[in-house]
Amino acid sequence: MKKLLLLGLIAVFVISYIGCGSPPPPPEPPPVIDTTPPPDTTPPPPPPPPPPPPPELKESQLQTVYFDFDKSNLRSDAKSALDVNYDLLMEFPNAIVKIEGHCDERGTVEYNLSLGAKRAKAAMDYLISRGIPANRLSTISYGKERPVDPGHNEAAWQKNRRCEFRIISQ
Amino acid sequence: MTRKLALITVLSVLAICLFSRARAQDETEIRHVLFDTIVGAAEPTAIGVDDMVYVGTEYITRNDTTLMQYVTRIVQRDLDFYADFELIPIDSFFIRLYEIVELDLFGWERLGASYVVKLEAEFPGRMMRVRWKLFDTLRKNQIARGTVDRPRDEWRQLGHEIANDIVRQLIGDPGIFLTKIAYVKKIGKAKELFIADYDGANEEQITSNGSINISPAFSPDGESLYYCSYVDGDPHLYRVDIRTKKTKKIASYPGLVGAPAISPDGNKIACVLTKDGNSEIYVLDLNGKIIKRLTNHWSIDTSPTWSPDGRMIAFASDRSGAPQIYLMDSDGLNVRRLTYETGYNDSPIWAQRGDRITFVSRTRSGRFDLASIDTSGTMYRLMTELGQNENPHFAPDGKHIVFASTRLGPQEIFTMDVTGRNQRRLTNDGGCSNPVWGPLPPDVPGRPRSSR
Repeated sequence: MKKLLLLGLIAVFVISYIGCGSPPPPPEPPPVIDTTPPPDTTPPPPPPPPPPPPPELKESQLQTVYFDFDKSNLRSDAKSALDVNYDLLMEFPNAIVKIEGHCDERGTVEYNLSLGAKRAKAAMDYLISRGIPANRLSTISYGKERPVDPGHNEAAWQKNRRCEFRIISQ
Repeated sequence: MTRKLALITVLSVLAICLFSRARAQDETEIRHVLFDTIVGAAEPTAIGVDDMVYVGTEYITRNDTTLMQYVTRIVQRDLDFYADFELIPIDSFFIRLYEIVELDLFGWERLGASYVVKLEAEFPGRMMRVRWKLFDTLRKNQIARGTVDRPRDEWRQLGHEIANDIVRQLIGDPGIFLTKIAYVKKIGKAKELFIADYDGANEEQITSNGSINISPAFSPDGESLYYCSYVDGDPHLYRVDIRTKKTKKIASYPGLVGAPAISPDGNKIACVLTKDGNSEIYVLDLNGKIIKRLTNHWSIDTSPTWSPDGRMIAFASDRSGAPQIYLMDSDGLNVRRLTYETGYNDSPIWAQRGDRITFVSRTRSGRFDLASIDTSGTMYRLMTELGQNENPHFAPDGKHIVFASTRLGPQEIFTMDVTGRNQRRLTNDGGCSNPVWGPLPPDVPGRPRSSR
């Protein structure tokens, strides 16, 4: 029984070796088929295969959402930014993102940590209400620990009161 | 000619005396207003610390002479930090007038000092020994004395120990001069925990994980710090042993675990969890297991702080639309609002004495200042008026506060007394925040601590 198996294996080996060894396929019918529908079937299939690997969601495509001082409610510009992100998330249904809540430097560390959490939650809730499954979204708060602009004026503060989107996987 | 000169001198001294008395009266009034409820005696005790003298028999090196000056300076600075004391500077005009040592108590009395500390040094082997004597200048007698031995390189602790003894002797307070302060310092993009003496000396880095580490809280024995760290991604609760630097994850729940505050009995941690979708205050045991949820509100609830008896908790909440300070029983019941003064009050800390809560108040100017209020909700007072000030925390004597401020530009750690005066900067590197004052170090065996 074992011997038979071994023999079979060797046979497979030899056949595959011969197969590899003879690259010019003698019984190849493709040229025959090729002649019949050359401009019809072959050109359309190649374009679809290349797109699937490259179309990846980029973090830079996802909009940052901005807030008012000590507020976590969504302004109209915040909602339109989230709408852009919603469209992207619908376009890339495998993308899983984390929403980072941030605050400006005013107020204390602990309060801003909670405020950042509240902002991230507000952004997440909006996307969920529009139909993104909750298991594709998560939040983290950085409070005032990671400002994008180290300045001490309203322009800098406005840039820092934000929610950023990070792609976890896709 | 000499007579005229003498007359002018006497007259000017008189004028100065009168002027300073008038000023002293003003100050007394300020003290009455500011902390009559906190420190029983509103009048500060005038005290002098004389230069240290060498009483040994061997020749000493210049280093040892310098050491004597340094230790004297430590004792003077420590006592000066107490609002209960007014440090009288040494004035040779009066004191050196008397050639006989015992008689210079007259000189100190004339300078206004009620008490004088005299320090005598010896250097047995590698040690420094200082004998301190406390004199009453009115009765001209010695009322207390003690001896402190330390290795020479612990000269700072030696000075602090003497100052502690004198504070214990005269006020009955334990003395905070050997306590530690922990804080957060920005190192590049990271935020690490540091610890230093109460006066900023002997700084030591505690964490070095390159992540964000914030909100330190001392364990009641002072041997470890609880803190919030992003080292594993999400902000969760950790503990680090200050001596060995070993860290342990205490609690991780979905979302944030932050703003830890250890109960006075040392058995519970009040902290903030966002696992319910929004910041709520919970009480955990020391292993991070949930004992009880205290708040249940759609708004932000954070920064819990225990009352000294552990029966109440103050916290910040924006349930009114903006952050304000609230009180509740430590089981979460009986929530009531404490502050109404400005539109933004945050970061409460309960004083160890005096039924007062200190917090951060956003004043009309838009600045963040420290303020305090009675637990009955009355007597709101501002305590700072320079730069942005935040994260106040009390020393274990309840008479001193550490906080972070940008008054000089970069954010640094400052200390002050509860009157808002005696402000001192501890750090000099910028990016320092989140200070907390450690507990009293355990008693040294064989050194009885006097009580009030």
